[in-house]
Amino acid sequence: MLEFRDVTVTLGGIRILRNIDFTVRQSETIALIGANGAGKTTTLRSVMGFTRMTGEILFDGRELGDVAPSKRPGLGIGYAPEDRRLFSAFTVEENILMPGQVAGFSAAEIKQSLDRIYDILPELKTMANRPAGTVSGGQGKMVALGRALMIGSRLIMLDEPFQGLAPALAHRYAEALRVLRDRDREVTLIITESNPDLLKKFADRALVVERGEIREGELGGKDAA
Amino acid sequence: MNPQLFALAIFDGIAYAALVFLVAVGLTLIFGVLRVLNVAHGSFYAMGAYATASVGAAIFAAGYSPWLAFPLMLVAAVLVGVIVGGPIEKLLLSRIYEMEEVLQILVTFAVFMILEDVQRLIWGAQPFFEASALMALGNVEVFGITYTAYQLILLPAVAVSVLIGLRLFLRRTLSGKLILAVTEDREAATSIGINAERVYLVTFIVGASLAAFGGALASATTSVQPGMGADMIVLSFAVVATAGLGQIEGAALAALLIGLGRSFAIYLWPELEVLIPYLIMLLVLLIRPEGLFGKSRTRKI
Repeated sequence: MLEFRDVTVTLGGIRILRNIDFTVRQSETIALIGANGAGKTTTLRSVMGFTRMTGEILFDGRELGDVAPSKRPGLGIGYAPEDRRLFSAFTVEENILMPGQVAGFSAAEIKQSLDRIYDILPELKTMANRPAGTVSGGQGKMVALGRALMIGSRLIMLDEPFQGLAPALAHRYAEALRVLRDRDREVTLIITESNPDLLKKFADRALVVERGEIREGELGGKDAA
Repeated sequence: MNPQLFALAIFDGIAYAALVFLVAVGLTLIFGVLRVLNVAHGSFYAMGAYATASVGAAIFAAGYSPWLAFPLMLVAAVLVGVIVGGPIEKLLLSRIYEMEEVLQILVTFAVFMILEDVQRLIWGAQPFFEASALMALGNVEVFGITYTAYQLILLPAVAVSVLIGLRLFLRRTLSGKLILAVTEDREAATSIGINAERVYLVTFIVGASLAAFGGALASATTSVQPGMGADMIVLSFAVVATAGLGQIEGAALAALLIGLGRSFAIYLWPELEVLIPYLIMLLVLLIRPEGLFGKSRTRKI
């Protein structure tokens, strides 16, 4: 459902990704593994259209180069960036609702989606009316996941979701992902992580990013960065 | 200073502050979202005034009711915002967002110069004076002073309505929330499907329309002539800088401060009339370089 064909990204004269080719099948859970600076974030950002790149990225058979970045979430792509990037002026719930409102979902669709999100992440409900600027870093990661779930009906990309989380919270987050996986067998998940041990329980496959190149890896094995 | 003069200075100051606020709030909104200091903003003010005064003069000469002046002002403001402001953002500014600030200011300054000449081409260099709206509302007497209802009641009421309306629009409507979201983080906004380019365009048109609306309202109180846009842009820069860039409520208070300062100067020390707004700005910026309400490097509007 997602295919990179000969993708190269150059930033400030440095090649971040070199002629990358890989395919992700629908309903797979992919662990995108690599050290800091290897190019994991850039891989996700190029799906969102935030990098200048050469080559092609196909999503459900469609060349994403023809789709404006702001139209890509509407294809069913939810993205939770590493640094959360919530809108601090709005409440937690407003943040979660916004992708659905922007995409023009009906009130009933939004309600249904919100119920599902609260079902998977019940802690979000208790902080629904708090300004997003006041939640802790770990809680913010949960909110960012909730926001990605609102629109990510086909593909959900989570960038370093466990980084900086206290162990208890990391455990909670992994649990929420497992519930999500159980509830929705169709959706495709791509999760970047520098510590693949956290993902070996539920990822189907590992892709390793190393020095701007990508290869198949082993979960929990020698590819632990 | 006797009590009557004191009251008169306050009334003058409030009426003037209301007009300056409308222009300054558009400027600060555009800066808050686009991060471009728009020198051409004064041209929207002047064109709003010219459009209202010239069309007004024609229709009132044909015998139409002077009350038509009010809807005319609104229509003129929106038309200037859409027809003049829209293409400027879409064709020109949208290409320079990534560039250096100095270059952006030069580009908007060039647009300002071009629009000054366009105004001369369309309306000539002769002043227009069209005060039907001012006269239609009559006078009011407060503290023994007779003052026009237009300046003492309508202008401040419009300014306060714009302030409240803009805040409600930004906080309560989806379009407003999109503007706030793009302001805070353009990339994050795009990643949830917000079309930032369209938000920029809409914001610019709204800001330009506000300036044009200020000009339309001002046209009933002053003669419309070349150079009025330049005067206003410099003054609204002073207001915006005093308030802190991107501060909407702050712009209202700073406009009041500068409007009152200016009107008191007229009565007490006329030589300082032109200087006072900048003295206020200088004083504020010496003590708080980020402006009265500005926060150093935080969220904008």
